[in-house]
Amino acid sequence: MQILIEPENQWATIDKATTVLNLLKELELRPNQALVIRDGELLTPDRKVGPQENITVRKIASRG
Amino acid sequence: MKCTRCKKTAAVALPRHNAGFCPECYGVFFSRQVEKAIKERELFSKEDKILIALSGGKDSLALARELQLLGYNIAGLHIDLAIPGSSVKARGHVERFCSDFGVDLHVLEMENEGMPIPEVRKKFNRPVCSVCGRIKRYYFNRFAMDNGFNVLATGHNLDDEAARLFSNVMRWDAAYLGAQGPDLPGDQGFVRKVKPLYRVSEFETANYSFLAKIDYCYAPCPYSKGASFTFYKSLLDELENEQPGRKLSFYEGFLNRGRQAFARIDQEDGEKLCPCPRCGYPTTGEICGVCRIREIMHH
Repeated sequence: MQILIEPENQWATIDKATTVLNLLKELELRPNQALVIRDGELLTPDRKVGPQENITVRKIASRG
Repeated sequence: MKCTRCKKTAAVALPRHNAGFCPECYGVFFSRQVEKAIKERELFSKEDKILIALSGGKDSLALARELQLLGYNIAGLHIDLAIPGSSVKARGHVERFCSDFGVDLHVLEMENEGMPIPEVRKKFNRPVCSVCGRIKRYYFNRFAMDNGFNVLATGHNLDDEAARLFSNVMRWDAAYLGAQGPDLPGDQGFVRKVKPLYRVSEFETANYSFLAKIDYCYAPCPYSKGASFTFYKSLLDELENEQPGRKLSFYEGFLNRGRQAFARIDQEDGEKLCPCPRCGYPTTGEICGVCRIREIMHH
């Protein structure tokens, strides 16, 4: 699965994760540290994700 | 996960409320949190003229949108810091937001005030964040006072406030602890300052802005890398993850049971304010901090 990580605008490929929670763990993020977006929709940590999907992970901590 | 209110598929999970919400019900939840903060702390009323400090980030834009929806009399002020690669973007987000949602906008340019932040940064041998913060606070207050606003609202959220409290406690800084809170009364050249988002977390304002289709700026300030607050926030995130609700209880516990004691200490021992002989705005020293910065910039 292709992951766009914002605000860095970096791409990552993660194949092991089957849920949003697993995906965030792979990225070493807590569920309250990022929005997870698929096709313009927000996903909660329990939602399933698949290997063919494009997902955006937008970190939320503001700096300055 | 299902929405706690209507049982549709949830878009946002909030462990500290033991709840999840669909996009429609999330708006209701968020409004209730903001209204509760305004009412419980008597922050302002529909009669007040409120100036909102707009940075272009999710918090300040979410605040402006929510106060507009709740029917308050608001206008925005953006301070253009003239930071290359950052300020133009941030200002663009603010201008588009105000145009799209019909919010009156004022802009102050630090270049015109002789204090573009990149130049200020070159003159000081310490992190620019504290100097930049001082300049912004000064101009937000001054603009509000000079233009008939009686309330200045900022988008500080629960994470900001809890991290600041943690930092102040780490230093046992009585003056800062006595003056911390979402409701700082206007006095001696200071407009009333309020933080209506103090009950909602950064995660919650990010979700709100996304669902409200607010085109906010999420690129960090290029000068803020390594700021201590970012570290404190990550520590408190760990705590919140283990003990959901801990951030709010830490902050509200302080407001309800700790703040008054520190405010008393500061009243007895704290420095007294007097008008700056150059600009007339309050200072504890001979010349106020911003006039001192201006002087350094001119040399």
